[in-house]
Amino acid sequence: MVSRLVCALLAAALMAPAMAAVSVKDDKGRTVTLAQPAQRIISLAPHLTENLFAIGAGSRIVGATSFSDYPAEARRLPQVGSYNSFDLEQIRALKPDLIVAWPSGNPARQLAQLEKLGIPLFYDDPQRLADIPGVLERLGVLAGLDAQARSAAQGLRERAATLARQHAGKKPVRVFYQVWDRPLMTINGEQVITDAMRLCGAVNVFASLPARAPTIDEEAVLAANPELIATSGDSTAKNSWLTRWERFPRMAAVANKQLYMLPPDLLSRMGPRLVDGAEALCAAVEKARQ
Amino acid sequence: MSAAPLTRTRLIGLLALLLVLALALLTASLCLGSTAYRPWQLWQNTPDALLARDVVLQLRLPRSLAALAVGGLLAVAGLAQQILLRNPLAEPYVLGTSGGASVGALTALLLSGGTALVSLSAGLGALLSTLLVFGLARHDHSSQQARLLLTGIAVTSFTGALSSLLLAIAPEGLLRGMVFWMLGDLSGADWHLPLFSLVLLAVLLWPFARELNLLSHGQQAAHALGGRTRLLQWLLYFSSAAATAVAVTTAGMIGFIGLIVPHALRLLLGQDVRLLLPAAALGGGCLLLAADLVGRTLIAPQQLPVGVVTALAGVPVFLWLLQQRGVRR
Repeated sequence: MVSRLVCALLAAALMAPAMAAVSVKDDKGRTVTLAQPAQRIISLAPHLTENLFAIGAGSRIVGATSFSDYPAEARRLPQVGSYNSFDLEQIRALKPDLIVAWPSGNPARQLAQLEKLGIPLFYDDPQRLADIPGVLERLGVLAGLDAQARSAAQGLRERAATLARQHAGKKPVRVFYQVWDRPLMTINGEQVITDAMRLCGAVNVFASLPARAPTIDEEAVLAANPELIATSGDSTAKNSWLTRWERFPRMAAVANKQLYMLPPDLLSRMGPRLVDGAEALCAAVEKARQ
Repeated sequence: MSAAPLTRTRLIGLLALLLVLALALLTASLCLGSTAYRPWQLWQNTPDALLARDVVLQLRLPRSLAALAVGGLLAVAGLAQQILLRNPLAEPYVLGTSGGASVGALTALLLSGGTALVSLSAGLGALLSTLLVFGLARHDHSSQQARLLLTGIAVTSFTGALSSLLLAIAPEGLLRGMVFWMLGDLSGADWHLPLFSLVLLAVLLWPFARELNLLSHGQQAAHALGGRTRLLQWLLYFSSAAATAVAVTTAGMIGFIGLIVPHALRLLLGQDVRLLLPAAALGGGCLLLAADLVGRTLIAPQQLPVGVVTALAGVPVFLWLLQQRGVRR
């Protein structure tokens, strides 16, 4: 009985957020080790800023790249440039003990320079929706906020599982996702939006194209005859992106009025709100199904 | 062939030949695309007939007409500037006219302006850069007009830097649409304005063809024109600037058409403006239409920017033509 109590106390002492070293593997397979949980973090992409806020590490961010606009507190963070070109001098001056980087978007040369400066870097490179909870958990370890991060990650997993359960076995819906208007661009099967479509039984009509964000022509869309056309944005100028299709009333999506403007940023950022985006997309898919 | 004097028969014959080529390309452009729909399906009684109708009449036809018109505009603008400068290197791309139009269009886009504002702003940019180039180099009376050309090249570099600056400060959301202007693309292009402009330009310049012939033979010869030289020069300034502005707002920056087409036609048809003017309008259209056809079918349904195709295919052909001419001499 007594020995058990001692054990429990000992374990509690070890788990306390004292000066314990933390270590995780990042998405490049490197082991990132910090002598103590990170207190001064710099985020190099808007979705990484969202990740940090989601695990309760928002107050530890000392600098972020532009367009870090969610949650609202993120707007007040000191800016260190944009995700594709940041100010190395300012980053160094902010004395970060952890930089969270996005190798798919950040320039490799600048990242190499940051590595040379000796600041620990965590590379975040999620490819699918299912990768995001794992990122939150590992960031939680680095920030010493394991419990909060685990519950945030668990929340995301459950919401994704709920979507998959609700739409399992339902009729597939052919979707055209319009990334850009002029030139007309869409996404292929490797892109994460297609991953979100799979959750709710939607099929990307251009999934098989080789390029990740291919430029296509209108007649290819007409021939694919999608049952739903979706794009995302909030500016009124973008309404013409969807109304252009009304010239073709025989297309299934137009005939059934299934043209959707989804909320901005949700589906284009590889952060926790991607699940919100998937939910919005799936709600539209469900309407198109009926 | 190029030595033959221009007779009415030769003029009509050659233009008819070009017209046939343009119609053949237009037919091909209506028949081919990323999908397998063909014009003759319009009259078949199948469920696909309606879809084929949308594809052929609403998508391929407007785009093909826009390609013909924009190509024609660029070639005529190039021809006008070459006559004006009596310099074979002159064309809207080289002289900064395209660059000015592009800066205008990008600025309007950055301010989230609508289509009308973008066109207006591009026109203003083209006109300003033309005035700047010709204003700065006005007193250049040397036979080669080297100063004019150098001024043009300097202005081109400057507008290029301005465009890069605008792209660098543009927010992420606008960037893709802006880069589109730099590459040149005909998807979703409107054909009414460019086609109308091309016809207007041809009608406007045609009556002056004889005088333009004199002008292109040098300022000495042009003195025979008396006071009309100035007027003609202004006509050429404005028409080349306007043609470039319309071309750029319709399809973005497309290089080399204005340089290659008038040259190739000169090598093949001789120097007479009466033939060159309509030939450039048709020939430029043919080249751009062919390039667009390749761009949208080569790796269909993925699309290549037409500006890339014109440069990749046009330049080697042009170099070959230049070589041929050297050998013949």
